[in-house]
Amino acid sequence: MGESKSDVLQGTLDLMVLKTLESMGPLHGYGIARRIEQVSGDALTLNQGTIYPALLRLEQRGWIKSEWGVSETNRRAKFYSLSRIGKKQIEMETENWERVAATMARFLAPSN
Amino acid sequence: MDKIRTLLVRIASLFRRGKLDAELDEEVGAHIDLAVEAKVRGGMSAQQARREALREFGGVTQMKESYRMRRGLPFFEIAARDLHYAFRQLWKSPGFTLTTVLTLAIGIGVNTAIFSMMDAVVLRPLAIPDLNRVVTVAEDQGQGDYKQVALANYESWKQQSRSFESLAVRSEAVLGMTAASGGEATHVDAALTSANFFDVMQTQPLLGRVYAESECQSGKDGVLVLSYSFWQKHFGADPAVLGRTINLDQRAYTIVGVMPKVMQYPSAADMFLPLAPTAQQQANRVAHDYLVVGRLHPGVAINQAQEELRVIASRLAKAYPASNLGWSVRVEPLLDVINGDMTPMYYRLILSATGFVLLVVCANVANLQFVRGIRRRPEIAIRVALGAGRRRLLRHLLTENMVLGLLGAVAGIGVAAVCTHLCKIAMPESVLKYLAGWSNISLNGRALAFSLLLAILAGLASGVLPALRALRVDIVEQLKAGSRSASGSRPTQRLRDAFAVAQIAMSVLLVIGAALMSKGMWSLLHVADRYQPKQMLTFLADLPAARYDTDVKMTAWYSASLAKLRALPGVTHVEITTMLPDGNDQWLEDFRIENRPLMPGKFQSAVPISVSAGYFDTLHIAQYAGRMFNSEDAPGAQPAAVVSRTFAERYFPGQSALGHRIQMGTAGKNDTPWVRIVGIVEDVNYLWIDRTVEPDVYLNAAQMPPRSATFMVATAGDPLALGPAVRREMAALDPSVPLDEMQTYQQYLTVALTGLIYVASTLSVNAFIGLLLAAMGIFGVMGNLVAERTREIGVRIALGARPQDMLAMILRRAALLTGIGVTLGIALAAGMARLSADLIFGVQPYDPVVFISITVAIVAITLLVSWGPARRAATVDPMRALRAE
Repeated sequence: MGESKSDVLQGTLDLMVLKTLESMGPLHGYGIARRIEQVSGDALTLNQGTIYPALLRLEQRGWIKSEWGVSETNRRAKFYSLSRIGKKQIEMETENWERVAATMARFLAPSN
Repeated sequence: MDKIRTLLVRIASLFRRGKLDAELDEEVGAHIDLAVEAKVRGGMSAQQARREALREFGGVTQMKESYRMRRGLPFFEIAARDLHYAFRQLWKSPGFTLTTVLTLAIGIGVNTAIFSMMDAVVLRPLAIPDLNRVVTVAEDQGQGDYKQVALANYESWKQQSRSFESLAVRSEAVLGMTAASGGEATHVDAALTSANFFDVMQTQPLLGRVYAESECQSGKDGVLVLSYSFWQKHFGADPAVLGRTINLDQRAYTIVGVMPKVMQYPSAADMFLPLAPTAQQQANRVAHDYLVVGRLHPGVAINQAQEELRVIASRLAKAYPASNLGWSVRVEPLLDVINGDMTPMYYRLILSATGFVLLVVCANVANLQFVRGIRRRPEIAIRVALGAGRRRLLRHLLTENMVLGLLGAVAGIGVAAVCTHLCKIAMPESVLKYLAGWSNISLNGRALAFSLLLAILAGLASGVLPALRALRVDIVEQLKAGSRSASGSRPTQRLRDAFAVAQIAMSVLLVIGAALMSKGMWSLLHVADRYQPKQMLTFLADLPAARYDTDVKMTAWYSASLAKLRALPGVTHVEITTMLPDGNDQWLEDFRIENRPLMPGKFQSAVPISVSAGYFDTLHIAQYAGRMFNSEDAPGAQPAAVVSRTFAERYFPGQSALGHRIQMGTAGKNDTPWVRIVGIVEDVNYLWIDRTVEPDVYLNAAQMPPRSATFMVATAGDPLALGPAVRREMAALDPSVPLDEMQTYQQYLTVALTGLIYVASTLSVNAFIGLLLAAMGIFGVMGNLVAERTREIGVRIALGARPQDMLAMILRRAALLTGIGVTLGIALAAGMARLSADLIFGVQPYDPVVFISITVAIVAITLLVSWGPARRAATVDPMRALRAE
């Protein structure tokens, strides 16, 4: 099982992929990986290849769909886009994360 | 929801593996290319860009692997691969595969066949719903055996008990059947039952209907229901049989229904008639002539019902002390009653014997696997060196074994089918009547499931140890070029030797067991030899009650028939009796001694036999005191009786029994006259299976003629040849008297022993198979021994050993293994013989002839089988052996 360089939980990678597709629209695997690298800055170094099992997982669940297309540089590549269910999942997952973050923040904040 | 969708997608992708793999490759390729493009645009050289892109991507192969794991269903894919691999491996060694599959087929097939038989006959002889709720209820005097039921008692139980959904009663009758148009009479066994008998059995008739309660009164009871087998045999399964009339004992009955095939209780019944007792009979508490069956309410346990009935019985004993004092009740599952005492034990015997065969089979196969494991060591070493996990390899090896097991099961089912077919057609008709369920034997779902289970177990059992051994490879050692340490490590050798010893021991056990049983059976067959059964024709005659309603008429018929038969050419003696010695029909009756009142609660009983005057001479039964029946005993005079020695010693100890009078029958049944004891004879056994001696009372058939009797026609020539002449004479006398079961006395005895014959034959076959398998196994072990030690032998010969030394070395090995195996086997056999001597009559536990001859035979076989390999050892060419790589 290919492991990422830093411990990126599967769920977080999924959400990152979904958010990327939400803001960028249909994108191929390379594009998604680059975007995630850019957005997270240097805080995250992951093997780009690990995106593909994640994409597979999301596609199996029906949250994203795929289609072969042509890139800007006229190269044949597989493009991924959000499905209707995927859009809803984003909402749910985002709420989840915000709740978790808020709770953690309370714990981590200096006691008032 | 997600999970289901995921699962479906994963299943679907199993079928598109190739295409999906190609797509993944393309996608990864595109990713790399796009990355390279971007980097080149950023200024890197193409080479550098590619290196960077690949580095950023991470391990491609590993990613693809984890991708594939996630994409399909790994479990199934791996299993499919293992199976494919296993098949390929087995295909590559056809000799091994064929031998193993055949060996397994024999073991699994025989066991499956026995299981089917046991299933049909012992476990489920009747296919009626909830068989475990059906029970028999009998009356019990506390003497160990139980008695039939009196009708009035049955009625009381029915009224007072709450445990039963339905409680029915039946009795048995033998009737003479003639067609409505007349003709010769045939003997039929009828079951007279109450209408709710069919409620207890919960069987719907195949055709027509069953009789109702309204028809169970005299006058309205002229209807009957046929049993399936009778319908098939006598009416050719004619569907238009309903409404036809037949005559039973000169009375007309209409056929209103036919029972289905699975309704075989009572198994001997040809037809069912309504039981229509008179008011007098219904109030009778002393005539114990009926059998009661009932279906318990769901949720009521047998011992609950038994307790309740015991309470009712004690109430009846208080209310009717004259008839019911000392009587209690026994409730038993119908299944136990049908099976009787011997059948389950027989089957347990057979099952253990065939189970043994399976063990021998597994030992054989395990040995073959060991050898194969050794040959595959290099292959396994390479795979381990390349990174295959131990568990993975073990799974591979075990998959092979399972495949072998399953192939063995498939072939075994063929073997089982042949076996069951043979068994069904080989069972004699007359015994078939009494074996409920025999015709139901088939390879049904349960049998197939059973054989599948055996296949898996056998495959695993014979494969686990060899597989584990095979995995213990020393990689370095194996991969060294030229290494031929192919004889295996010491522990492996020891394990192989242990298996060989086990095979021999088990075969010895099997063969000795079968031999002892056969001998026992043989001696049983001859237990009646002194009566010269081969020279005697026997048949049963039944006097119809309607025409022979007085003693005078019956006596006249008997004298006339005896006279006629005695006049036939070649006939030396003709006598009648109600019981044949060493038969399978014995019953006891209570009796009273004149001037010797019986204490309440104490019972005395004896075996009553009605015989003609010349009976004792014909059978060479020794006389001890007094006289036998003679012309003094005329029909009008004081009835005479002859008793056996045991009777005299038990009931008249220290005095002469002669001159005393006794009366047979239970108190209250005052039909039988007082008889005077005039003579004492030696003991005769009337039940072949039970060798305990019972007191006998012989009544004079001329003075107290029985309703039915067995004729014994002794001749110097062929008894069966007299058959037609006998029938002619009897028909000339009165054609309406049915004659039945015309056979030689020897045939009658053989039928009783059929069960035992079956068991002994099956055991012999098993033993033979076991011997064969052991021989094969030893041959294999010895052969491989020589093959592996070829180099060693070559070295020894080169160093000066003589060929005969090598021969001796191998033979010594064989002798050692055989010696241990035989000793072990004999010890086990002696123990087993001790155990079974109590269970089976005729088995002499320490029969030296059997033990010695079997030992000699097995030792001879083993050495014979080892000769081939030993000779090969002696003729090893040292140069060739040392050069071979």
